[in-house]
Amino acid sequence: MTKKQLSDLVVKYLFQIAASMTVLIVALIFLFLFKESIPFVRDLGLGALFDVRWEPVSYVKERFGIYPLFLGSLSVTFLATIIAIPFGVIGAVYISEIATPLEREIFKPFVELLAGIPSVVLGFFGMVVLAPIVKAVFHLSSGLNALTGALLLALMAIPTIISISEDALKSVPMSYKQASLALGANKLETIWRVTVPAALSGIIAAIMLGMGRVIGETMTVLMVTGNAPIPTLNPFESVRTMTATIAAEMGEVAFGSVHYSSLFWVGIILLIATFILNMIAQRVLKNYKRRPHG
Amino acid sequence: MKKSLITIVGAACLTAVMGLSPVFAGDTLQVKGSDTLVHLSSSWAEKFMEKKPASEVAITGGGSGTGISALLNGTADLANASRKMKDLEKDKIKSQGFEPVEFIVAKDGIGVIVHPSNPINQLNMNQIKQIFTGQVNNWKKYGGPKAKILLYTRDSSSGTFAFFQKRVLKEKDYSVRARRLASNSAIVESVSKDVNAIGYVGLGYVAEAGDRVKALKVREGDGPAVSPTQETVKNDTYPISRGLQVYSKGQPKGLAKEFVDYMLSAEGQQIVNDRGFVAVQ
Amino acid sequence: MVTSSLQSRPAKVKKRMAQDRQPEEPPKTVVKDGKMENEIIQVKHLNFYYGPSQALFDVSMSIPEKRVTALIGPSGCGKSTFIRVLNRMNDIIDNTRVEGKIIINGKDIYQPGTDVVTLRKNVGMVFQKSNPFPKSVYDNVAYGPRLHGLKDRRKLDEVVHRSLERSALWSEVKDRLSDSAMDLSGGQQQRLCVARALAVNPNILLMDEPASALDPRSTTKIEDLIGELRAEYTIVIVTHNMQQAARVSDYTGFFYEGRLIEFNETRKIFTNPDHKQTEDYITGRFG
Ligand SMILES: Nc1ncnc2c1ncn2[C@@H]1O[C@H](COP(=O)(O)OP(=O)(O)OP(=O)(O)O)[C@@H](O)[C@H]1O
Ligand SMILES: [Mg+2]
Repeated sequence: MTKKQLSDLVVKYLFQIAASMTVLIVALIFLFLFKESIPFVRDLGLGALFDVRWEPVSYVKERFGIYPLFLGSLSVTFLATIIAIPFGVIGAVYISEIATPLEREIFKPFVELLAGIPSVVLGFFGMVVLAPIVKAVFHLSSGLNALTGALLLALMAIPTIISISEDALKSVPMSYKQASLALGANKLETIWRVTVPAALSGIIAAIMLGMGRVIGETMTVLMVTGNAPIPTLNPFESVRTMTATIAAEMGEVAFGSVHYSSLFWVGIILLIATFILNMIAQRVLKNYKRRPHG
Repeated sequence: MKKSLITIVGAACLTAVMGLSPVFAGDTLQVKGSDTLVHLSSSWAEKFMEKKPASEVAITGGGSGTGISALLNGTADLANASRKMKDLEKDKIKSQGFEPVEFIVAKDGIGVIVHPSNPINQLNMNQIKQIFTGQVNNWKKYGGPKAKILLYTRDSSSGTFAFFQKRVLKEKDYSVRARRLASNSAIVESVSKDVNAIGYVGLGYVAEAGDRVKALKVREGDGPAVSPTQETVKNDTYPISRGLQVYSKGQPKGLAKEFVDYMLSAEGQQIVNDRGFVAVQ
Repeated sequence: MVTSSLQSRPAKVKKRMAQDRQPEEPPKTVVKDGKMENEIIQVKHLNFYYGPSQALFDVSMSIPEKRVTALIGPSGCGKSTFIRVLNRMNDIIDNTRVEGKIIINGKDIYQPGTDVVTLRKNVGMVFQKSNPFPKSVYDNVAYGPRLHGLKDRRKLDEVVHRSLERSALWSEVKDRLSDSAMDLSGGQQQRLCVARALAVNPNILLMDEPASALDPRSTTKIEDLIGELRAEYTIVIVTHNMQQAARVSDYTGFFYEGRLIEFNETRKIFTNPDHKQTEDYITGRFG
């Protein structure tokens, strides 16, 4: 073997090792989750997870039904996405297609700033400012509910959606826009009929990433959703999300207890949900690329 | 409460107060656990290190469970806990060949608070129980306005949640509709904004909140209605109070012993009072 | 080759060009076989600026209806700029300025209040690089009509069919109408762009080097297509290919450094041009 072949081989292995690291780490995380979750199955059986109540601290009967937590995460994520999409996409269109360079200069730093606000700060803002507003507007008894959480999470998802959609919109060739304008379309018609459809795969990816941020977010929901584990999809009810549950309870729980172990099940379900979300996203993107758009 | 606001603020304060003390140094005393105790512990540590400049005491929050497990695996010398150690945890320490040792370092009263505009001034223990379990859900029942009661509790993870459940709810479950907030300040904040709300917070927070919320007088059975104050907690006339404890693995030695002694000293107990808790002696 | 010859050209050429130009010359009228043509586009003393730099200098010409007019000239001489002026596509470039008059169908298209949408519907454009939308073949052709309010599916089908037929693409794509336009060959894509332009029923078709990116066979197809369209449309085509200009056009204009040097019947330009620069360019002595 020549020296060059040898160095090629070494380089190849180095890259392989580097690449396998991620695989290894993911595998280790899974292993860890499953290891810690086993005591629960041993003591209570898997069926206990399908209870409709989450009552881990109780002198009557400890109950570990993930269902209300799952519904909580679902409704908050779904609502937040619905709220974030129009703002995110319109914001991206504005920045990339409509704003003058000066307006862009002013607008963009604010988007970046919004992206950089720590979630505790946002949560605090939500608790002190937003929750009373939601309460007043919808005549509710309390502003700590799924809707308030979703609004804040939308605020966190919007910068992600804006910046990634903006990239996608920017990469739409000028020639498409020219063709449209030359056919007598005005700027807005060109944007909605040509530019946005041509960038749709990127925009969908942006929305999915925004959702990813939302589903994994802990601090803000912990602070503003009220955290009552009510099994409901009503946006005006308090909900307890899976992430908030893990974050809130992991610190105080007795390590190695059934409660501790049940939190790992919550983690596993969260992981599976995220995984499915990703798969759907990939699917959508792939289908979308194969078919002609528009 | 692992990552709650308090922890973060607490950590920030600590960093500022202790001037980036090295947490890895061998002779550093590591104290971990309950977020309720973080502020108090930091104050102790600050004064303690003033007196003994050569020593280092590092205080970390994260929750009672985190503290006790750190004690178990040796990353902490003392564990702060706002709840009593569970049997499971005691067994683990015993299986390592140690006795768990408990020090009650301070007392805390839990004030039941409502919006200042609420006409109700006092409730008995049973009434409070019925409210928090959801059996009674309208203020009218106790002579208040005709309005639904809005419940705020601490999160199920907190030691206060479990204590209140045991002491006041007589081990019944909370109403599922009770909103569970991550911190005492969040409860004060929310109760001060909702006319129909009721919640509970530690004594220090009752004092700090001032006129923004009203602390109810509490009666045990037919006994007198008592306001939550340092005085009434100290002489055990206020019915909802508990101890805050520090645990060690076996009898504390060296720096750990000195620190525990300091906490229980007159000066240490004065700090307890200053921080809104109640001295044990 | 174009740029290098331009760079090596001695300064005196420039001077001579300036002398050739007669500043107060009236708009050149076109006369073919002794007959006046119907002038659908009249350009009068057109100056065009990109910010501070002037790209067109006092261009005046009349383009006859239902004829093919070719524009030739070395790279950078302003041909594209000129035809973009004709449907106001330059409007989308920042900091541009137009002076002079462009009259199309009797109307000054730079008059304030001109409806650019109607103008562009009337003056279609095909670009140098084919640019179908990333949509289906059908949706590409139907884009313009839909834009202008046609919703009836039967009528749309009809327009799509007719436009593809006219652009000589129907037989090749009739079974692939719902396929992505991006899957067509380069030549097909360019003809699709022609069909898309025809679908809004323009009178005038501007083509900026429509065949320059195509292989010889596709080029021939485009040229044949132009031959067929000339009966119904006024076509202005920019080309770098002398033979192509000679083959497809009735009239030819020669641009040089932002000026229209000569404009005449193609036959005349290619056999006996009035100006020496034209002859030099056509015979390949420069540019
Ligand atoms: N968008 C623009 N901004 C500024 N200057 C431009 C712009 N487009 C063209 N120009 C300049 O205007 C002059 C004429 O350009 P134009 O594109 O009209 O030439 P052309 O004859 O079409 O050249 P080619 O044969 O290479 O396509 C050139 O000097 C060019 O650099
Ligand atoms: Mg050009």
